[in-house]
Amino acid sequence: MSSSPNMLTKASPIANTSAPLTSLVRVKIFSRQGPWILVSLHTSTIQLWDYRMGTLIDRYEEHDGPVRGVDFHRTQPLFVSGGDDYKIKVWSYQSKRCLFTLNGHLDYVRTVYFHHELPWILSCSDDQTIRIWNWQNRSLICTMTGHNHYVMCAQFHPKDDLIVSASLDQSVRVWDISGLRKKHSAPTSMTFEDQIARANQNQADMFGNTDAVVKFVLEGHDRGVNWVAFHPNLPLIVSAGDDRLVKLWRMSETKAWEDLILSVGEDKTLRVWDLNKRTSVQSFKRENDRFWVIAAHPEINLFAAGHDNGVMVFKLERERPASTIHQDVLFYLTRDKQVKSYDFQKNTESPSLLSLKKLGSPWIPPRTMSYNPAERAVLVTSPTDNGTYQLINLPRDSSGALEPTDVKQGYGSAAVFVARNRFAVFSFANQQVDIKDLQNNTTKSLKPPTGTTDIYFGGNGNILMITPTQVVLYDIQQKKQLAELAVAAVKYVVWSTDGSCAALLSKHDVTIINKNLEQLSTLHETIRIKSAAWDDAGVLLYSTLNHVKYTLMNGDNGIVRTLDQTVYLVRVKGKALYCLDRNAKPRVLNIDPTEYRFKLALVKRNYEEMLSIIKTSSLVGQSVIAYLQKKGYPEIALQFVQDPQTRFELAIECGNLEVAVEMAKQLDRPKLWSRLATEALAHGNHQTVEMAYQKLRQFDKLSFLYLCTGDQEKSLRMAKIAEHRGDATSRFQNSIYLGDPISRIEMLKEIDMYPLAYATAKSHGLEEECQLILDASGLTEEEIALPDIGKPSDLPHIVVPTHQANWPVKAASFSFFQKALLGEIEDGEDIPIRSDGFRDEEGIDGENGDLQDTNELAEEDDDAVGWDMGEDINVEAESDFVTVDGAEGGTGSSEADGWTRNSPLAADHVAGGSFNTAMQLLNRQVGAVNFAPLKSRFLEIYQGSRTFLPASVGLPPLVNYIRRTVDETDLRKVLPIIPRDLESVATIDLQAGYTAMNSNKLEDGLQIFKRILHTLLVNIVNTQFQVAELERLVSTASEYAIAMSIELARRTVGEDSEAKLKRNLELSAYFTIPKLEVTHRNLALMAALRQAVKHKNNATALSFANRVIANGTSRFTEQANKVKTSCERSPSNKIDIEYDPFAEFDVCAASFTPIYPGTASVACPFDGSKYHTKYKGQLCRVCEVCEIAAPASGLRVFAAAR
Amino acid sequence: MSSTEQIYTEGELMTIHNDYHHNAYTKVLAHNLTQTSTSAVLSARILQLRAQIALGNQAEVLADISGEEDIPDLAAVQALALYTSDSEAQGLSLAESLAQTQSDNATVQILAATVLAAAGKIEEALALVSKHQGTLEAVALGTQLQLLVNRTDLAEREVKNAKKWAQDSLLVNIAESWVGLRVGGDRYQQAFYEFEEMPVAQSVAEMHLGRLPEAETSLRNAMEDTENEAMQSHAIANLVVVETLAGRGAQAKELLASLQTRMPGHPLLVDLEEKDALFDEFAAKYAPKVKITA
Repeated sequence: MSSSPNMLTKASPIANTSAPLTSLVRVKIFSRQGPWILVSLHTSTIQLWDYRMGTLIDRYEEHDGPVRGVDFHRTQPLFVSGGDDYKIKVWSYQSKRCLFTLNGHLDYVRTVYFHHELPWILSCSDDQTIRIWNWQNRSLICTMTGHNHYVMCAQFHPKDDLIVSASLDQSVRVWDISGLRKKHSAPTSMTFEDQIARANQNQADMFGNTDAVVKFVLEGHDRGVNWVAFHPNLPLIVSAGDDRLVKLWRMSETKAWEDLILSVGEDKTLRVWDLNKRTSVQSFKRENDRFWVIAAHPEINLFAAGHDNGVMVFKLERERPASTIHQDVLFYLTRDKQVKSYDFQKNTESPSLLSLKKLGSPWIPPRTMSYNPAERAVLVTSPTDNGTYQLINLPRDSSGALEPTDVKQGYGSAAVFVARNRFAVFSFANQQVDIKDLQNNTTKSLKPPTGTTDIYFGGNGNILMITPTQVVLYDIQQKKQLAELAVAAVKYVVWSTDGSCAALLSKHDVTIINKNLEQLSTLHETIRIKSAAWDDAGVLLYSTLNHVKYTLMNGDNGIVRTLDQTVYLVRVKGKALYCLDRNAKPRVLNIDPTEYRFKLALVKRNYEEMLSIIKTSSLVGQSVIAYLQKKGYPEIALQFVQDPQTRFELAIECGNLEVAVEMAKQLDRPKLWSRLATEALAHGNHQTVEMAYQKLRQFDKLSFLYLCTGDQEKSLRMAKIAEHRGDATSRFQNSIYLGDPISRIEMLKEIDMYPLAYATAKSHGLEEECQLILDASGLTEEEIALPDIGKPSDLPHIVVPTHQANWPVKAASFSFFQKALLGEIEDGEDIPIRSDGFRDEEGIDGENGDLQDTNELAEEDDDAVGWDMGEDINVEAESDFVTVDGAEGGTGSSEADGWTRNSPLAADHVAGGSFNTAMQLLNRQVGAVNFAPLKSRFLEIYQGSRTFLPASVGLPPLVNYIRRTVDETDLRKVLPIIPRDLESVATIDLQAGYTAMNSNKLEDGLQIFKRILHTLLVNIVNTQFQVAELERLVSTASEYAIAMSIELARRTVGEDSEAKLKRNLELSAYFTIPKLEVTHRNLALMAALRQAVKHKNNATALSFANRVIANGTSRFTEQANKVKTSCERSPSNKIDIEYDPFAEFDVCAASFTPIYPGTASVACPFDGSKYHTKYKGQLCRVCEVCEIAAPASGLRVFAAAR
Repeated sequence: MSSTEQIYTEGELMTIHNDYHHNAYTKVLAHNLTQTSTSAVLSARILQLRAQIALGNQAEVLADISGEEDIPDLAAVQALALYTSDSEAQGLSLAESLAQTQSDNATVQILAATVLAAAGKIEEALALVSKHQGTLEAVALGTQLQLLVNRTDLAEREVKNAKKWAQDSLLVNIAESWVGLRVGGDRYQQAFYEFEEMPVAQSVAEMHLGRLPEAETSLRNAMEDTENEAMQSHAIANLVVVETLAGRGAQAKELLASLQTRMPGHPLLVDLEEKDALFDEFAAKYAPKVKITA
């Protein structure tokens, strides 16, 4: 391999973008703080580039003439530059300006460097000096003279107080600056003493330059030396000169050397050298450009080389560790070519299984690895020598890095297992695929399509052959091409765990195929795609340079998380994303799979899963809604939205008129009403249309609607309204609709249209009326010439009384989703739906007055043509109507109804009297199913929520609603008072419980603690902080209730048989387990202790005694000590009981038996009491309200202010 | 021009009116009407009759006015007396017919509307009351009716309009305070001041202000006022709320029992009974997946 392709890969983007640079690139320096590189140019410009993106970030143009040296500061946002204007400038790239200039050099400045820790800058110049500057006080602190020609380069030693310099006087000098360091030993603290000391030292400089002394002068180059550098960790110096030699200098003779150096030369090549063998490992040539300069990233494998026309950034070697997965085990190769495995189940890394040191060249890491579980063998390929592969059996026991014993190898650029006993080897040079058996004998040879670059496993018996333009699926058995797919430049193939599909990764594209090579989806990334892994559910996660993203089979994708360094994904398991980093270390990243799981469930229409996701995790609202809407699931999106406007839009979109009506009422904007009217009309839901028209006051449309639906009664009323409004056109229209010539004539007369009135009367044969008109106008019949008048048409009869009901629509069935969200589906609660799409009254609140008003319209008496015209109609319009709207009535909703809307907390719903929704909330939050114990709590809250204000005699008192938000007057924010808050529970009830415990009134105590639980279950708190407090209180109450139940159970057991005695002793031991206050724990312990002593169970008695003593001094200490002493004499148990004093365990609250850690258990969603799994689905014994292990989203007692 | 307004302008019956609206019904009855000018005698007498009704002496009232039913004002009193005693239907039908025939009479407007409203015909009551020609009592009643149907906005408007022509009159201020208890915020405190002479109402304002101990003291005092049973019942009902909020369930329970004997139809009792049943109905919909058999 003469040139590393890796070099080119990185190089291209930057080389391209820098094409406009017209002058020589001098120096590039990588930053430690970001993906930045500094480039100084011959044109006096310094440029700051982002090498990952290949974009120019900034340019700095203050130097006069070429800039020859630049350097980033390690930690500060600074860099320094020096140029042909003799100046050294220090810049801040944060404020993007030159901070100051250091003047002193008398000729071109060649290089400038920051010291790695001291505030120093080292510069060298054509004035034959090397200078050290303090950039904090901006002063020259040392000038080193000695070279007698231009000093081309000077660098600090990375650790020691040394400087190396190179000069055209053909020498390399090493300087010792420890003296200087001593003088400036406290560079960062600028105390007064330091200042004095420093001043004195500077004076000392005048006499003798002892700060920097020449340590070595290295003479060996025959021409001027251009560059010199210390080895980062070995005592070596490397120098390069015009004699075309790169020389290595040792500073001591003790160590062997092994590393790489890179050199660039004006001979247009870039070479990589092996220090050991002193040979060129790699070289890279650019045809037209001379390389001038090279820089290495201080930490990672990145290099930059500047040439005549630009900069290229490249990496030296492949960093992707070869790896392969079998079931739950990852096999991978470390940087030092050890095969290791990683177990996803146990999350453990194995020791090295095998050493592959001898595979390939030491500088070229193996490329791929394939694993054969049947033989426990790995197949590793390396690009060395145009591709070699090795087949090695892994040792059975991984005792350590073993040299492989039985290695079968051959040449080939790619090798993969294709069956249990076969593997395929692809030779790029021969364009041939050989199928080999495990003895490495070729059994078959295939001819791949021309230009094939790689092969991959292609499902059982198949291989995928990759060409630059397409992927071919090939059947090995039949020697036949099965399918082909045009995908350009695929680099990797990742199969899903079940082998049903695979992802083809190209540089910027991911193509998902099934096993028949049919394309399922494809996506394009602007940034390079690094690796991919499949989620077990069938979601592909892939990594780019800086992100982990996902894609579904349908091509939907999104970001899962960002990465701070590049990793190679290997496996996704739930929330854990396993990957290998560039040092081939397995790492586990935490990810939140909620989003893609949800989307996947959506695609698969797996509503149960969606529901459980919604319940258990907080999906980010807006994005999910937008996504659902975009993907055509408005009815599901509807379930997430709170904002009425959006809800309205969604409801219209999915034809959910009911919700649309509700939202329109809330928003009450004409635009919405008219959209609602259009939509409702399309549904044939004319009742809604009617309401919308009423809201909009579109009388003409209303009239027409009544005509269409045959509602004569209302048509009549419209005519009357028209009359009140004095709207002649409308009256005319209505009289035509009604077939009522009399009123039409009346109207025409009123507006002085006698001719028309006459014609109307005449045509309807109303002679009397005709005569009256004639009289009024003083004309005779003869004077009027009428056109030929036909017979007036009969008014059509109403055949179907459409107005009585909406068009029959197939009963709107809720989707699973809606049902589930409305009420728990498991409870079989069905909300009756009327065929017209309006839910029955009782179902859900929010169905307030307006709609009923319109429906009641027909029943109201004729004169009061008052329906609720809404309150928001502007005043002008209203004044027209005052005469018509006798009573501007309508019932409002009470404040208590508002509470239900304002709050998501069950307690507030209870106070509002909406027990139904409160129960729904509790059921959803904590799986509450048995509400009977909560009844008194419900009624208590309700009872405390309103006052009775006596007003007029003979009328019921005015009911007012007590708020906990006393200062709030916005009805959308007010919330009810809830009796027995957290504080009162903690100070009154809890203390009562403790008293009961102390005085051994356990029945009472149990009731008290249960009541505490019930009180807390339906309650509110005012701060987030109190939420935790409430949770603590719940768990305390739960522990006490369990403890008391255990002891009460013990008291009923008796001791009259051995089994009963055993149980008795066990229960007395379990009584000590719940987490009680220390004093109470001691009570329990002492009771257990006495019981144990009484029945000669000294071992357990001893353990109780020890625990009492460990709890600190108390009135029991003395007794415990006595027991301890006596029990220690014969620490054995007479009766064997199931109690291990040394084990940590919980007590099952139903069976009162231990639940040891590691055994499965279930818990009450509210109070957290633990149960054996067989109790799942039963009622919690402690709170007696919730179902054990019911799906629950968690109790809500705090609603942050909106 | 109504009689009520005359009273306010002349100030002749100011005291008796104020006493009535401060719920001091015995004081109303103690007024000696012999000094009253003839024009005001009827108004004063009606107030005294209404005070009697408020104190639960319907029988005396009916006896007092028998034979004078052709005076519409007294007929209206009769309707109220009938309705608030055992003859609800009779009282209602009388009120309805008065609303039809004598809807211009101020007393009819108020008393018949009261009967209609008490019978649940709020719309009709409002329509009747809205016919008033500047009667403060009608304003107050209208306000209360709007509040009964939860239209705080309309009630507020009613009060505001009245304030334009009857600046600082007691009744409007009281009505304003009723609204204030719905609006909340600063209005609670305003109502508290306004209800100075009315212990029960004032305690209610204190409850809304969150001053429970003070409310409790004054309610317990109000309970001692044995003259006015209805007022006593309201005091007890509110005391139930105070005790509940203070977490003293036992006391609340006792008070509820005492209220039950005094005034079984009190809205608090009716409401609680309804909610009790509602709870059982809803709770029956839930059950654990696995029932414990033991």
